[in-house]
Amino acid sequence: MNARQNKRRLGQVLIGLFALSGSVWAQSPTGQETMAQLVQEIKQLQQQDHDLQERIRLLEARQVPTPPANMANANPAPVPAQPAEQIPPREVPSPAQTDWHQVHGIQWHGYGEVNYKVLDQRQPELGTGGFVPGSAGNFYTGDFDLFLSSKINDKTNVLSEIAFGEGAHQDFSIDLERFLLKYDFNDHLKMSFGRYQTGIGYYNAGFRSASWVLTAIDRPLIMEFPGDGGLLPLRSVGVSITGLVPSGKLGLNYLFEYGSSDTVRQDLNGSGTVDDENNGNQLNVGLFVRPDVLPGLRIGGSFYHDKISDSTLSSRIRISQSIVNAHVVYTAHGYEILNEGFLIRHAPENSRIAFNMPAFYSQISKRFGPIRPFFRFQYVNTNKNNTIFDDVGLRYGPSFGARYELNDYVAFKAQLDHTLRGGKPNLNGLQLQLVFTF
Amino acid sequence: MSGQTIATRLLLGLASLACILQAVAQTGDVAVVVSPDNSIASVSSIELRKILAGEKHSWPNGRPIRIVVRATGCNERLVLLKLLHMSEADYKTYWAAQVFRGETDAEPVIVLSVGMQKEALQVFPDAVTLVDVHDVKPGMKVLKVDGHLPGDAGYPVH
Repeated sequence: MNARQNKRRLGQVLIGLFALSGSVWAQSPTGQETMAQLVQEIKQLQQQDHDLQERIRLLEARQVPTPPANMANANPAPVPAQPAEQIPPREVPSPAQTDWHQVHGIQWHGYGEVNYKVLDQRQPELGTGGFVPGSAGNFYTGDFDLFLSSKINDKTNVLSEIAFGEGAHQDFSIDLERFLLKYDFNDHLKMSFGRYQTGIGYYNAGFRSASWVLTAIDRPLIMEFPGDGGLLPLRSVGVSITGLVPSGKLGLNYLFEYGSSDTVRQDLNGSGTVDDENNGNQLNVGLFVRPDVLPGLRIGGSFYHDKISDSTLSSRIRISQSIVNAHVVYTAHGYEILNEGFLIRHAPENSRIAFNMPAFYSQISKRFGPIRPFFRFQYVNTNKNNTIFDDVGLRYGPSFGARYELNDYVAFKAQLDHTLRGGKPNLNGLQLQLVFTF
Repeated sequence: MSGQTIATRLLLGLASLACILQAVAQTGDVAVVVSPDNSIASVSSIELRKILAGEKHSWPNGRPIRIVVRATGCNERLVLLKLLHMSEADYKTYWAAQVFRGETDAEPVIVLSVGMQKEALQVFPDAVTLVDVHDVKPGMKVLKVDGHLPGDAGYPVH
């Protein structure tokens, strides 16, 4: 196309656009406001154009090859006011000519965070993600996550999540948080093989590990990862199967997981004690409904069972561990209402003793434009005689704060915590966090 | 920057502006469109919401659903957000989380024009997209929603 043709085409577009905008302008009661809005949106769209060109380039590289569409066999429903134009089917390469790896490529996303935390008690408490207990307050980076996924074919893909976590001395470790081969046969049968986050309750499967996706700065204690003092086996290697049960408007879903957990948890009290629970194979089954009557509502529960031992004891008595969960969650219309209850039961073998330890949390938030204030109340009560969770005891209290979206890729969070601890002074904390994705 | 690049960028900007003006001007029904090769002929409004939210991943024949959406500001985009009861920011956050959870391998494909929607339907026979009823072209199969076609009384997508 030469310059003259370019100019002529541009002129035609401008004339058409002027006529179109003129007709719309005449219909608008608040023309100036509308124009100001449009100018603002044009600026945004110019940026999006750039992004979209990149996306189109990627899309073209990822096109799924198909045989030419047979328009003659199509039976479209009647459509009002259709032009008579008929476009010939697009010629596409045959699957045999395609290198699937080159066509699909690898998708990746990065998630990072920078934190500042201060506590009013210097009595040692577990430092996580680089936070140094006993200090007046300090900065730390937490986790830096790389999420990679690659499509093998229409129903199969591989995903992995690699986290670079900060230790207490600004040393960093690498952890393969998730590594899965996923096969979605249909909505009723979706299988994952590899290292997955267990489907105990809603939070673990709903939010994964990157802080970017969390509304609050940290996870509720009961849903915290064991390396950060959490109580539950939140990761496992094995098979996870889920899907929709034909149930009409009820929207019943099932979950079945069988795998090997290996929970290594740090004590919360800063003693430096690390418990390797030497989990046996775990079974986790769950059911939940997403009723059509209220989109965004999820009600369900799960039952987890495995056998563990306390590595800090000389005797290697196996302990039967059962974890029952029930949850009611609503996420729609900008609301995020999370409620989960847990009962952890530890029953040592050849003993009449059993420890039943309850926990729950409730979190509510509502988005108002770029800001999402939240409130959370959590409660954990473990038995002091249970040597695995004797560092936890009774802990409960509120947290509140807000998340502010600076743009689509960066958010700032602030959170205040007030934790009452059985037999210990109350713990108050301020956390600030800058999270980003790219 | 070459003259051709400037012209291309200007055209894209004008296309975006036209899209916004179109959104201001159009408030009518929006058709739910699939490839003519797709055997499905109708969906319920509840199914449609689940499809566009990525909660329903496959067509009845088991083929994975690929969602194609228009860019921010278009009438079809506004109708999509209305169907999902989400703001633009909620929508972006929602899909970022869906990808990270592994619920889907990629966010919906975003296209700039009806022509690109039509092209996407040819390239991806399992795609579904929303098209303003006045922009429906040959090669696009319009689905009934709750038993109604666009223009019918009771058609819910507008």
